[in-house]
Amino acid sequence: MKKLPRTGVIRDYDMHSVSVKIGYAFIYILCAVMVIFALFPLVWVVLAGFKDLKEFMSSTSILPNSFSLSLFLKTWDQLGIARNYLNSLISVAGSVVCALVFNGLLGYGLAILKPKGYGFVKKLVMLSLLMPTTISIVPLFMNIQRLGMGNSFLPLWLSYGANAMYVVLFVQFFESLPGSMIEASRIDGCTPLQTFFRIVMPLSRPICAVVTIFAINASWSDFLLPYLVLRGGSMQTVMVRLFVFSTEQTVNADAMMRSVVFSMIPPIILFVLFQKQLTENSVSSGIKG
Amino acid sequence: MNSRKKAITLSGKRTEAVKAWLIMLPGLILMTFFVWEPLLESIRMSLYKTENVELVEFVGLDNFISVVTKSNFTQALLNTFGYTFWSLVIGFLLPIFLAMLIGETVRGKGFFRTAAYLPNMLPGLAVIILWSAFFSGGQNGVLNILLSKLGIPAQSYLTRAEWVKPIIIFIATWKGAGATALIYMASMASVNAELYDAAVIDGAGVLARVRHVLLPSIKKLTGTMLILQIISVFQIMYEPMVLTKGGPDNASLSIMQLMWQYAFGGTMNYGKASAVAVIVTLILLVLTAIYSYFDRKESDWA
Amino acid sequence: MKKFYRIISLLLVMGILLAGCGGAGTVTDEPAYTSSAEVIGELSGMSSEVIDPDLTCTITLGNWPADTAPESERALFDGYKATMEKQYPNVTLVPDYFSYTLSNYVPMAKGGTAPSIFQPPFTDPQLLISQGLVGDVTDALEAVGVLDKFSPAYYEMLADENGRIYGLPRDGYVLGLHINAALFREAGLVDEEGLPLYPTTLQELAEYGQIIREKTGKAGLVFPASETYGGWLFTNIAWNFGCVGENALEYQDETGRWVCNFTSDECIAAMNYIRDLRWTYDILNVDATTTDWAGSHSLLGTGEAAMNFAADDSVDQPTANKGLPVGDFALVPFPAGPEGRYALAGGTCYMFSPDITGDQATALMAYLKILGKLPFLDDDIIAGMRADYAAKKDRGAPVLPAISAWNDEDYNAAKQAIIEQYCNVDMRLYDDFFGSISEGTITLRAEEPVFAQQLYRELTSVIQRLITRENADVLKALTEAQESFQEYLDDEINNA
Repeated sequence: MKKLPRTGVIRDYDMHSVSVKIGYAFIYILCAVMVIFALFPLVWVVLAGFKDLKEFMSSTSILPNSFSLSLFLKTWDQLGIARNYLNSLISVAGSVVCALVFNGLLGYGLAILKPKGYGFVKKLVMLSLLMPTTISIVPLFMNIQRLGMGNSFLPLWLSYGANAMYVVLFVQFFESLPGSMIEASRIDGCTPLQTFFRIVMPLSRPICAVVTIFAINASWSDFLLPYLVLRGGSMQTVMVRLFVFSTEQTVNADAMMRSVVFSMIPPIILFVLFQKQLTENSVSSGIKG
Repeated sequence: MNSRKKAITLSGKRTEAVKAWLIMLPGLILMTFFVWEPLLESIRMSLYKTENVELVEFVGLDNFISVVTKSNFTQALLNTFGYTFWSLVIGFLLPIFLAMLIGETVRGKGFFRTAAYLPNMLPGLAVIILWSAFFSGGQNGVLNILLSKLGIPAQSYLTRAEWVKPIIIFIATWKGAGATALIYMASMASVNAELYDAAVIDGAGVLARVRHVLLPSIKKLTGTMLILQIISVFQIMYEPMVLTKGGPDNASLSIMQLMWQYAFGGTMNYGKASAVAVIVTLILLVLTAIYSYFDRKESDWA
Repeated sequence: MKKFYRIISLLLVMGILLAGCGGAGTVTDEPAYTSSAEVIGELSGMSSEVIDPDLTCTITLGNWPADTAPESERALFDGYKATMEKQYPNVTLVPDYFSYTLSNYVPMAKGGTAPSIFQPPFTDPQLLISQGLVGDVTDALEAVGVLDKFSPAYYEMLADENGRIYGLPRDGYVLGLHINAALFREAGLVDEEGLPLYPTTLQELAEYGQIIREKTGKAGLVFPASETYGGWLFTNIAWNFGCVGENALEYQDETGRWVCNFTSDECIAAMNYIRDLRWTYDILNVDATTTDWAGSHSLLGTGEAAMNFAADDSVDQPTANKGLPVGDFALVPFPAGPEGRYALAGGTCYMFSPDITGDQATALMAYLKILGKLPFLDDDIIAGMRADYAAKKDRGAPVLPAISAWNDEDYNAAKQAIIEQYCNVDMRLYDDFFGSISEGTITLRAEEPVFAQQLYRELTSVIQRLITRENADVLKALTEAQESFQEYLDDEINNA
């Protein structure tokens, strides 16, 4: 087995000391506790999904009486979750496209083209980074209503094209790109737009991947604006449904737990597929996803 | 050929700028529609009496006076500071501690990182609903089931005014602490290992190295994270909305939740909702100003 | 002032804003899979003769069940639609499930996208009418010949000052007490016939609750004290302690100013009663302050609590939806207090898009006739009612007599006769409830007249404080709530 390098405060030579060894074992115990702590609620909610209402309300056991999937299938069927999944997918797909194209173009302008006066816009974007979007949700909702965009995915998609964090991520990355390649493409007669799609974006795969993953996760989990926009109709996403369940009380507690499980499956799959990018890039960007 | 191109470039300086702005235009329009205009619109709306989506009458600061003089505003503001307090107690040092722990591990480090980050991926709403079952006060509450194994009788949690805020912060911390820890880890990992070796030569033990080498290395980041955390705590809204509906006796009502109540809680008073939003915006602007002041100062030192 | 008289007229019959309570858009979660064949079989008895081939228009049906509604319910509406399409071949019906809330309806009405028909609770019609956000159906009603059969209460509420009508009553309800009879049996609270010995007074409720708590270990009473719900139930208790007339929780003084009064001896006594339920008798469910409407029905339905203040229109909640066998469920009158015996009454209605044309109004009345919501006795209506009750019976919900919104004896008697055919319950478990209403031994009373939701919110806060803090000061809590709500009233009406 390859010896892994020791990167922390404790150095190899410290391990000769008994007290450090004990302390080191203790570190591992604490890490194990952390893992249990992080995972137990997830395991539990799946277990809870196997309980029917009566058992869920009365049982004093963590484990369910039976492990039959029939309740999951029944809830999936009855609540029409498949349709909500489809809605969520549509919502996520459009959001990702908007997040990449619009924020990318804005970032391109701010980082590479830098026309006169770009500094002001850059400042505005940085300032918006710290303003929570929920704070102006009331006028935003009113604007959407005024434009007659209620009950449509369009405002949700476009809202991902206006994300200060993604713009900043793009700007940071574009600034690190070698200027010579962009200059070369310009000399080759490419228009700025052609340069963006032919040169800049292909070079920016890593950051596009990060923004894509963030946008997928954010638009999947988002429910406040989607709730206001989609609540009346048949286009509700998984999270909007979950929010409706929790506020309008139309679903039983046991089915609610199964809905929670359903809502978590895609993010967990995404996580399993992209855990490396996620755990590393959340770090490099310095911002939580 | 060459000179012609150059000429175009020179005379095209302005056209290029126009083109650049055109490229940025879609993004700018969207930022305006979704972020900037609504912020300004909040200010305008907060000065008007509203009926549904229409501004009926300019009323000056009436909305602000009406909102601020209500007892639930004071309560919500105090609660929000309470949330901030608890988030510093529960959620601030934990990620640093976790980062130190994971940073020391060698085997299994990747696994620990992954496990720590996982809760952050889960939808916030699902997390709140999940945890609500843990804190259920009945025999079926998960925490009560676990405690009963230790012989501790069933407790009621969400009905206690003094517990709801720490519980909500606890849930938020469960979700976010791991991801924050990874940010600290990256900062800690940038410490050159030779510094530790040098400290050892100076006779520093493990704890002394933590104190004199590791912790100073994350000093700047800690300040940034502190402000970011406070700002994010000010956004707490759906957590109490779903978990306790602001209760008991408004003990968990947050300031943003109050805004939501004015707007969508049945009365549709968008003017007053905007007044609350403007007040929160002002508080956040002050915090942001403090942040950038310290940020600059730190940068100056660096 | 006129506005306030109209608001007072809401007093007569009102609904509640609590989602789901009115029955509008109730998405039931645990429907037994039903044999929709039986339901459709019922509908096939409907007349399929063409009534008016010339009526040509399109109507969007906002009262359509959600796609998550039980299959039987959706089949029922498909049947209504098919019948309507046969009778009026040129009327196009567009199902358009719409979960009504005031805030999502208003922008739709203004933007011209409101469904032709939708179902708001009784708290909203006057607001919608005064803002011109609903359509006038007076002429269409007159043409169908039902104008004069309206209960006067509804007539007052669904019309404007010129007597134009904008809505039709859909369902009414009266608050009572849901009983888990199995827990009563377990606690030995049964009479000689084996029926649950239920509390007739609030004092008995506390005592019986205590017996149940001691004998079964389950909560005697669910008190869903979250958000606005607790305050809503409290108003009924307060009335029974005497908070009516000059001691009313809110009233208009001689100058026309709205005043609230939470600090009368009666209100204090009522609040002390709630306090005692928690600290003296200890019969409340554990997480009362986070228990909501669905939670309260779940607790009763799964046998975690024995009593729940709830209405006759939500009897399918503990039974069909939460699994309590129909035979273990009873509905009894709201217990009397020392100073009175009131029961809160309310409901939901049908209203219409502000843009409907005369043809659309005619088509909508025909549609409501097929739904059995107009007082008609033809075969179609009877078939529709049968279908409705068959569906109820099918999914294990009690089939009960409805409280009629129409002053039409023949219609009401016929309805009763059909209900008896489908009856799946021991009516002795319900007789006292319906008897108390028909015999007038209980007084029906509508919600508090103005800004009821805010009043409930304030009172819920007081309840939450009292049941979570043993030494909380009742008078102080009520005084604070009174000040806060008075500020609200001053702000919203007195100084508006």
